[in-house]
Amino acid sequence: MSEKKIKNIFVAGPIDPAFIADSIAKHGSKTAIGGHSIFMGQVRRDEVDGKLVDAIAYTAYEELALEKMHQIREDIFEKYPLNCMHVYHSLGTVKAGQICLFVFTSSAHRKPAIDACSELVERLKAELPIWGKELFDNDTHQWKENI
Amino acid sequence: MEIEIISFGKISEFIKPQKLEISGITHTDDLKVYLESSFPKLSGMKYKLALNKQIVQQNCEIANHDTVAIMPPFSGG
Repeated sequence: MSEKKIKNIFVAGPIDPAFIADSIAKHGSKTAIGGHSIFMGQVRRDEVDGKLVDAIAYTAYEELALEKMHQIREDIFEKYPLNCMHVYHSLGTVKAGQICLFVFTSSAHRKPAIDACSELVERLKAELPIWGKELFDNDTHQWKENI
Repeated sequence: MEIEIISFGKISEFIKPQKLEISGITHTDDLKVYLESSFPKLSGMKYKLALNKQIVQQNCEIANHDTVAIMPPFSGG
């Protein structure tokens, strides 16, 4: 059996923009890379029946999510000639306007980075057992559902 | 036999983590019927099961001390 290293993707609370900047900066030494693609998910202040979303509280079936993410990662590396792939997702409370998802792919030329990034976002939204509870400004809540 | 039930998201609001003593249930399809009659709220909902951290895609055999997770549609990202 091949050695399997399960990477953690979960971050407690929002993803700090400084962390994202730092992650970009770290790739400066990887000079074979010619293109990066980044997707960031941000909590939207939706209005539902006159109530505004203050924050989303994320929970996950962590072990299953990390296992699944490992498979997705392998599939994507197999499909696209990538130099790097990084995925981070928040757990716990993330306020409206804050970042809850950060997907970062890099390749020698732009196309694989762009396509891999987009496919990763679609797959992780559909396949990772993560749940977002929208917390409203009047202390009520509703569970999000990905379309 | 005894199995452990865990639940997530919306479902965690009405099914708490618990040990369940079941008899005459050998497969996940039977378990679904049992769960939906024990927790009527579940029957109108979309959900998936995971058996010992594997998402159940087809009817699977359940063994003593297995863990079954009940999961509503995902909403990450």
